[in-house]
Amino acid sequence: MVYYLLLPFLSILLVVLQTSIADVLFSGRLILEISLIVVIYAGFRFDLIKGIILSFILGFVYDCLVGSVLGLFTFIYMVIFLCSFFVSIRFSSEKLYFIALFSLICSFLEEILVILFYNLAYGLDILKKTSLIFLPQAVLLSLLAVLFFYLVHRTEGFLHGKAFQSTKRARTGRLSAEA
Amino acid sequence: MFLRKYKTIIFVVAILAIALILLSYNLKHETGTGLVKKVVLEAAAPVHNILSLSVKSVSNAWLRYVFLVGLEQDNRDLKKKIDELKAELILYQEGYLEAQRLNKILSLRDNHDYHFISARVIGREPSALSRTIMINKGSAHGLKVGMPVIAPAGLVGRLTDVSWHVSKVLLLIDESSNIDGILQRTRTQGIIRGVGSSGCELKYILKNQDVKEGEIVLSSGIGGVFPKGLLAGVISRVDRQDAGLFLKINITPFVDFSKLEEVLVLADQEEGN
Repeated sequence: MVYYLLLPFLSILLVVLQTSIADVLFSGRLILEISLIVVIYAGFRFDLIKGIILSFILGFVYDCLVGSVLGLFTFIYMVIFLCSFFVSIRFSSEKLYFIALFSLICSFLEEILVILFYNLAYGLDILKKTSLIFLPQAVLLSLLAVLFFYLVHRTEGFLHGKAFQSTKRARTGRLSAEA
Repeated sequence: MFLRKYKTIIFVVAILAIALILLSYNLKHETGTGLVKKVVLEAAAPVHNILSLSVKSVSNAWLRYVFLVGLEQDNRDLKKKIDELKAELILYQEGYLEAQRLNKILSLRDNHDYHFISARVIGREPSALSRTIMINKGSAHGLKVGMPVIAPAGLVGRLTDVSWHVSKVLLLIDESSNIDGILQRTRTQGIIRGVGSSGCELKYILKNQDVKEGEIVLSSGIGGVFPKGLLAGVISRVDRQDAGLFLKINITPFVDFSKLEEVLVLADQEEGN
């Protein structure tokens, strides 16, 4: 219950923090989408209900503070969470190179969805203008994802005194409704 | 029995449907700032405040006490510039007084009476698609969606989301920002559209028009959102090669959006009182 109560506040903190850091480091040219990494992490480690609620709230907060159309990133984050969730059932998600590659794919997926949305909804072709930003952003995100997963892995190991693998979710492929 | 068996899947599908409904509703109706969005903006304001203050103090300490290379030369250049500007200012003051006299004679005063509400920038929200900033004033201070925002250097943008004590400003350089503009020299009208970090474009200026690099672009006052004569930017490039009827004109805004700290919101006199 505490998790659900704290989630909106932590989401706001995360989104504000990531935009502030990006503003200082890149003067608004690039964004550090740590929130997307958290969604991927949730897909790998959390159960379905807990993860989808996290994706919904994080996406909604991102939409309110950064996005232009309310609901766009809420939907995209949930799609990415579901992709991560089903990929983590099929493949071993412990290897760092896999995490980097998957984060890169998720970043591109997000960008494709955004481009498609703007094209379909407004008839805007933003691909030309944003392609130079999207590529370094996706690479940056994949590198950050590796760092994030590594740090969380170490923290979990330190806190629980054991290997982190599959502590949150049984690797059975079954969809748990346990929250 | 069925519900219990598939409750997780039903929940996931329902929450996805909620997101899709939210998206399509906002796309269709452009509802502005709803209550939940207002609450999120209000909750984010103190975090923004704390972070921007700490970042500002660190960068101030760096710039004021550590990174002082070239300061003496800068000082000398600035003093020289001040002398030049003083001379220029006297000329402009004369011109201003003359314009006021003429305005009085011709009764060409604007119908709108504005007053300024100053606000501090508490956060920047850069993304690949939207360029917005957050300011520390909201509806409690008399702000409303659509009000123009300026800085001493020129036009900044307009308010798109107004919460009780925080507001979101859509910058001039945002892709979805369209402002009616006018060239200072030739009085040719066009639309100033944002193109992201590279500045703005002046659209719909025919190829046979006389447009030069270095010309100043102002707001035209058409549309009623922005008052006439606000400085928008300077023309940095005019491309006549592009196929089509219109010129491709790039504008560099006068305002450096990455260094904005304080802004002024232009509120109607009635709104402010």
